[in-house]
Amino acid sequence: MSAAVQTREGALILDSHKLSHHFDRVQAWEAGERIAPVSVDMALTRACGAMCSFCYAMMQESQARSSIKTAHALNLVDDFAAIGVRSVSLVSDGESTLSKAYVPFIQHAAELGIDVGNATNAWEWEPEKIEQVLPHLTWVRFTVAAGRPESYAQIMYKGPEHTEVFDRAMKHIKYAVDLKKRKQLSVTLGIQMVLMPQFKDEIIPFAQLGVDLGVDYAVIKHCSDDEQHTLGIDYSKYEELYDLLTQAEAMSNEQTKVIVKWSKIRDGDKPPYKRFYGPAFLLQISGSGLVAPSGMFFNARHSKLHIGNYTEERFIDIWKSDRYWRAMNYLASPAFDAQTMMGTLPIQHYVSVALDRHAKGIERLQPATGPKPLHANFL
Amino acid sequence: MVNLKYAQTNTPSPNQEWRRLSDAERRARVIDVLKTGMATVNGAVIIAAAKEDGQIIVNLAEPLPAGKRGQLLLDLEEFLKKTIDPGLAVWLEPLGDRNSLRNLRGIEVKA
Repeated sequence: MSAAVQTREGALILDSHKLSHHFDRVQAWEAGERIAPVSVDMALTRACGAMCSFCYAMMQESQARSSIKTAHALNLVDDFAAIGVRSVSLVSDGESTLSKAYVPFIQHAAELGIDVGNATNAWEWEPEKIEQVLPHLTWVRFTVAAGRPESYAQIMYKGPEHTEVFDRAMKHIKYAVDLKKRKQLSVTLGIQMVLMPQFKDEIIPFAQLGVDLGVDYAVIKHCSDDEQHTLGIDYSKYEELYDLLTQAEAMSNEQTKVIVKWSKIRDGDKPPYKRFYGPAFLLQISGSGLVAPSGMFFNARHSKLHIGNYTEERFIDIWKSDRYWRAMNYLASPAFDAQTMMGTLPIQHYVSVALDRHAKGIERLQPATGPKPLHANFL
Repeated sequence: MVNLKYAQTNTPSPNQEWRRLSDAERRARVIDVLKTGMATVNGAVIIAAAKEDGQIIVNLAEPLPAGKRGQLLLDLEEFLKKTIDPGLAVWLEPLGDRNSLRNLRGIEVKA
C-alpha cells in the first residue's frame, strides 16, 4: 500500500492503514478477546440535501429510520468512551451537519478524549457552526465532486445551472481555511473527489481547486458499488485515467498535497481477502441508528448482519451482546465471501487487507515505531 | 472470540442435487424443511425465491427490530445449511433509497 504523504503538519496516511499504532488491539483480537473498535464511522442522520450521483447511501436503506435525538448521540459518545473507542468519523450514510446533535456530539466527544473527524458537503456548515466545532475536530474532509461549478452542480445537485451550491460550499470551506490559520488550529482540512470514470475531465480542475483553496490536501478516490453493480461502475476504465491522476498529483505544492488513493483504484472491484476482519476494528453505524458491522450491510438485503439500533438500546449493551460477536464471527467464517457477498472496497478495506495478510502469515503486523502520523487514531 | 483459521477457506457452493432442482422445487424444499424442523422461524419469514446459486431470498412476515431480525435470519441460514446444503445463504429483498432528492437520479437498487 502507498506510503504516507509528508505535509507541513506531519505524515498523512490516506491510502493505507494505521493498525500498527493500535497493536494492543491487534494482539487482543488475535488472542480471542472481545475488542472495542478503534474507530467508529457513523452519521447522525440519513438525511442529505445533496444528490450525488456516486453516493453509496443510495444502496444503504434499512427497514426503518430512527430519529436520532441529542440524548441518544451523547449516550453513544459515553458508551464509546467507556469501552475504549479512540476516534469517530462522521461520514457514513448521511449529512451529519444537518442533525441537531451535530455540535453537542462533537463537543462531548472532544471532552472525553475521543478524536472526531467529519466529511461534509459544507452546504449547511455555516460560520457559527464552524466556529463551534472546528477547534474540536481532528480533520474535516469536504466532498467536492468536481473543480468547476457547473460540473459540481451536475454531479452533486439537480443540474449545471445550480451553481449556488458550489458557491456556498466554497464560501464555507474558505471560512474554515481562514479560521484554521487565524486560530492556529491543528485540524486538517481536505477536499475529496469520488472519481467515476466518466468524470475524467474533472480531475485536473479538482486538483487546481484544492491548490487555490489552500486546503491541506485534495484526495481522489475510486467509487464503491454494491455487489449487484447498482451504480454500474466499470472498474477496468480507471486504468485509462492513470496519466491524468499522475498529472494531478504533480500539482501538489508546499501547502496542498494532491493525493490519489492508488491502492483502491488499482484493486478494482475484487478484494484479495475472503474473510472480512476489518469491522471489529472499524465499526460502522448508520444515520438510521442501525448498528451493523459495515455500511456494506446497512441495506435490508443484509438484515442477517443487523445487530441492533442504539436509539432502542444502549450501544454498550449491543457491543457486549452475543449478537455483536456472532455477526463479527460470521464475517470470519466460510459462510461469508467478501469477494461476492458485499460491495466493493469498503471503508474497512485497508484494515481488512492487513488483517487478512496477518492471519495468513503473509505479512505479520508489527507495533509501530517512530513518530505517530497525523490522525493516528483513525484507522 | 473471532476465529482466524478460515482465512484461506473457500465458501461452499451448492451441490449438484440442489442445482438440478427447478426454482419451484427448491423453494418447496426450503418451505418443507422449515415446516417440519424450525417452528420458531416458520411463519416469521416468507420464502420468496430459492436460486440455483444458493441464494435464498426471504421477506419478514412482520417488521422486526434490528436486534431480532439479524438473529432470526442467521438462525435460519444455519438451519438451512445443516439440513439442505452448506452452500445456501439467506438474504432479504433489498430496499431502495427513501431520500426523495437522490431518487431523482433514478437509481434502482438491484436485487
